[in-house]
Amino acid sequence: MRKDDVSLDNCLKCSDCNTACPVVTAHPAYPGPKRLGPELERMRREGIECDTDWVEYCLGCHRCDLACPNEVNVSELIARAKATHKKTPIRKMRDWWFARPGLLGKLLTIAPGVGNFALGLKPVRLLMSTFMKITPERTFPAYSKSTLNTPEAATAKQGERVVFFPGCFIKYNQPELGCHVLQLLQLNGFKPEVAVSGCCGVPSLANGDPEEARKRAEANVLSMIDAVDAGARIVTACSSCGHMIKTGFGNMLEGDAELAKKAGRIAASTFDLAELLVAQQDEGKFNTQFAPASSNRKLAYHAPCHQKSQGIGRPWYNLLQQIPGVEMEDLNAGCCGMSGTYGFKEEKYPVSMEVGSELFAGIRASNPQAVVTECATCQMQIEHGTGVKAVHPVDILLNAYKPGARI
Amino acid sequence: MTRRQVRKVRSNHFDLIVAGAGIAGITSAAAAAGRGLRVALVSTGPGSFVLGAGCVEVQNMDRGMPSLDEAMGFFRNLTELAGCGFRGGLGEVRYIPTILGSFQTVSLAPFYMWSGEPEAAAQVAVVGIKGLSSFDSNFVAERLVYHAGLLGRGSTYVAREIELSIAEGTVAGTLQFGNRFDRDARFRAELCDALRPIAAKASLIILPGILGLKSGQEEIEGLEKELGCLLCELPTLPPSVPGMRLFNRLEARLRRAGVEFFTGFPIQKLQIENARCKGVLLDTPARPLRLSSESLILATGPFSGRLLGNHSFGVNGDLRPVDATGALIAENLYAAGAILRSSSSARGGNAMAILTGYAAGMLAAGAGVQYAQG
Repeated sequence: MRKDDVSLDNCLKCSDCNTACPVVTAHPAYPGPKRLGPELERMRREGIECDTDWVEYCLGCHRCDLACPNEVNVSELIARAKATHKKTPIRKMRDWWFARPGLLGKLLTIAPGVGNFALGLKPVRLLMSTFMKITPERTFPAYSKSTLNTPEAATAKQGERVVFFPGCFIKYNQPELGCHVLQLLQLNGFKPEVAVSGCCGVPSLANGDPEEARKRAEANVLSMIDAVDAGARIVTACSSCGHMIKTGFGNMLEGDAELAKKAGRIAASTFDLAELLVAQQDEGKFNTQFAPASSNRKLAYHAPCHQKSQGIGRPWYNLLQQIPGVEMEDLNAGCCGMSGTYGFKEEKYPVSMEVGSELFAGIRASNPQAVVTECATCQMQIEHGTGVKAVHPVDILLNAYKPGARI
Repeated sequence: MTRRQVRKVRSNHFDLIVAGAGIAGITSAAAAAGRGLRVALVSTGPGSFVLGAGCVEVQNMDRGMPSLDEAMGFFRNLTELAGCGFRGGLGEVRYIPTILGSFQTVSLAPFYMWSGEPEAAAQVAVVGIKGLSSFDSNFVAERLVYHAGLLGRGSTYVAREIELSIAEGTVAGTLQFGNRFDRDARFRAELCDALRPIAAKASLIILPGILGLKSGQEEIEGLEKELGCLLCELPTLPPSVPGMRLFNRLEARLRRAGVEFFTGFPIQKLQIENARCKGVLLDTPARPLRLSSESLILATGPFSGRLLGNHSFGVNGDLRPVDATGALIAENLYAAGAILRSSSSARGGNAMAILTGYAAGMLAAGAGVQYAQG
């Protein structure tokens, strides 16, 4: 972590960050980003004991960073405090696993039928509640054995080489979505391949394990650097993976100048899928061979926090508007409250649901046929909180093309 | 200028980029969007809304300035559509209390402050909240008695205190109360019950700003109706709950009008080539995000002159920045709001922000609005 970060001296105590914080808004007992970030950081740097459980309650949404008029790295200061925070043994063990979704994915996809069955059993979930402090209120996403591969040379047309970074959720839970990403890239003139990648490291950081995040960053950088140096762009379809590659890899690898430079080159070449398609559109290369609308569809869009933190505008929202018959509303109702593994933690489940309540109310008022959002755990939270189907925008866009559409 | 057709294809090219989300930036974005332009609003943080409440004074201004009337009318209408309407007008002078127990002279103010005028024979209760250190009702009431006397007004002020529940382990704070007002019906009922006995003996209640960050006229006027008593809410130390409410309502209104927000990333560079501004580079993660546009309005506040470097020596008659020789820095670049304070012509806080914001937005939309005299 950056020891030379003096951005806390820029804090004017204006409290913009507190007004933007979803946890402060929903849960008044939370001290807020101003306190947990720049204020306590001064004491931490002086070696004054000020550890508090509340640092664990930061969602890592980065809304405080975006609200700050003076460019203080508020959430990074909190993440740093999270890393040195002392946890109870049960939470420590649980968070060790939550920090390693790649490992979990590998284990559970050895025999996904057995794993899914076991995770669905009530007694198992009650045991997990007792011994791992994982809330029995939620269902685990199903794990899937089918694998995601680079399209065969026969189906892959010529085009710009891009490398798709799937991330854990697509790799282990939604490989069919990954296949749709590849099809969409091909339909828009790219020659995609699948990165040999592990977890991006966001869950490790969120669970206070920066060393694990550093290892993940290093492994990913080493596996992708050759492609990037050969001119390929990296594509993400998970907003948290995209956020991490763009902002986190460099920070994590700062101790090694050579790796940090590589991380910088990878970040500069990484695009959210919709960001890439918007760039195609600006060059007149976005494929718009859509089938005529059979009926009107009312959709509601939820922008994930890690999409906002990438500073790319609302590319999916604007792309999907162009599909015939699609009527889209931007919910703009704040953070969903799930924050990956956060919402699974028993002690944080009520906070997670309180945070999401504004979004749930917005969805109910909008009454859409489906909610569209590019973050898998936002989707889980939306379906859990409202019962309304939540889908990835890739599926909406891919289904909109007429049969035989090609570039 | 005809209304431009809304494009079906949407990308990072805009008719207009507005930099800054204070009153000037928001007004110019709304004015241009209202003329059919596709507008991007680029900002770091919500301007000075977190510090105040947005009152407008025009006393120190030249009221003969062209378009002043039109701009105020536009702003009133904008806030009304946002559910956070301003009251008053150029011809009006009102005295609105402050948290220091003085009166500020305003011509326009948000609806939640407008009733603060010291009416003759008014029975005013200044209501503090137990444990809320940022609002001292005794101090405010005592000073208002004195200042109302100076103004020759016969209103009386008495200090009252109510007690509201607070979350365990916290101290009373306006942000906590504001958030709970928005989200918790039980809290609203608790507040109403606490104020009811005071309202029975008063014609106006002055209280610290706590009535929600997302609420609007419906909720606050609903509370007034339930109490049978007018309310005047004073902004406290940051965060100003009423100020953030105004910002949130205006932002929501602009989003509905199609304005695209790019929040949280400062402008790294204005791209000016051959005396035309082509767009901006935003300091976003991994690489700068480039937004291009037909024109650009700088409404970035008094501390942000660096974007124009040392070239800017004020603005010409239609709000376009000029260099030392009086030549335009870029023909499609305008400036509005407090950034103009460096030039001697601009004074007047929010009134100036509304006037220059409106004029710049209309000029960028090619509308025939006159800003300067002559």
